[in-house]
Amino acid sequence: MVWASQHGEPQQWAWTGGIDEWRLVDISDKQVRIGAAVTLAQAVRFRELRSLISAVIDGAAVVGSVQLRNQATLVGNVCTASPGGDTLPGLYVHDAMVEVVNAAGSRRSVKISEFLCAPGKTNLAPGELVTGLTLCGLAPHEGSTFHRFTQRNALDLAIASVAARVRFESDGQTVAQASLALGAVGPTVLDVADAAALLVGHALEPSRLRQCAALAAESCRPITDHRASQDYRRQLVQTLTMDVVAAAAARARGSIAMTL
Amino acid sequence: MKTRTCLRVNGTQYEVPPSFSGRRLLDYLRSALGLVGTKEGCGEGDCGACTVLVDGTPMCSCLLLTGVLDGREVTTIEGLPEAFLSQFAAICTEYGAVQCGYCTPGIAVMAAWLRDGGNDMNDEPVSKLFEGNLCRCTGYQQLIEALTALS
Ligand code: FES
Ligand code: FES
Repeated sequence: MVWASQHGEPQQWAWTGGIDEWRLVDISDKQVRIGAAVTLAQAVRFRELRSLISAVIDGAAVVGSVQLRNQATLVGNVCTASPGGDTLPGLYVHDAMVEVVNAAGSRRSVKISEFLCAPGKTNLAPGELVTGLTLCGLAPHEGSTFHRFTQRNALDLAIASVAARVRFESDGQTVAQASLALGAVGPTVLDVADAAALLVGHALEPSRLRQCAALAAESCRPITDHRASQDYRRQLVQTLTMDVVAAAAARARGSIAMTL
Repeated sequence: MKTRTCLRVNGTQYEVPPSFSGRRLLDYLRSALGLVGTKEGCGEGDCGACTVLVDGTPMCSCLLLTGVLDGREVTTIEGLPEAFLSQFAAICTEYGAVQCGYCTPGIAVMAAWLRDGGNDMNDEPVSKLFEGNLCRCTGYQQLIEALTALS
């Protein structure tokens, strides 16, 4: 729309927001499918999604403003392919698959990390459209969280952001599985598996958490721009990682309490 | 292929002329219908001056294509009830929440949405609900106080 108002009105356009299949949210077992026409506000208001894909919903809730979330879609946030897109780190830790269809009707499914290629660039070919996303929801003893840091509280882009997903063994102490994704500190979201792996097999002691956060900060590739310097971003990643892992763990423990 | 778009604006049914169906709702309201209460600030979704209700939900009219709104109901500042507008005006005056007035129509539309139960699902504070309405003049404290008094 912004492009059209600056470059003249479109000669041809199609409205996809009314396609029924694209407006659906499907939940079967722990698999979540979100159609391309589902707005951020609809996703945030969907209570089951908060407990199944918490980190994605944390991000969806802070995109833009009330008005924008009523119009903007989750798939739109993906296709914009901004390195700082607020829903993207959450989509990484929830193993999002992007569903693509072409004009001939053939479909393919792409991992989000392969779909996002560079700032503003996806791997969509001419004639292809995204129809929806499939996500892996949280299991019992598992939690996920997304935090971002901005200079203003609204209508701002992240200086750095982190999503974490943590699953505990049934003892509620030992980390069974962990994943971490960083936003706004590289050309696309960064999946820092090595840092997350440091948590697995251990209790979440402060020293371990610090090691993990230090490795996450080392692995990121931030730039210096008008929002913040490289060094500042790196330090933010360290702090955000500590916070976000602890918050995801608290949610995982909450789900333990609920499943007992 | 569908070429006709019919929508309601402030309770009146209109058929959108083809020349406007590929333009922004903001342009249709201001240029075709003469409803100039809805303002353009940024034209890119940042300022909220262009806020209208679409089927009762606040959206930025600078980011909506008129042609996609077939069958929808649009409410602009001109369509808000008189009684609400005078109450809104009185409170803004009392709290010093208006100066140049450019942001005011967008804020009035948001306030009307809030009054009609827009915040029922999520009990967010007023300051968060008005995150999408920028004001360059008054300072947000006066605005938030006025809007809190109103709600
Ligand atoms: S003019 Fe639409 S948000 Fe600023
Ligand atoms: S009163 Fe001037 S922009 Fe708000």
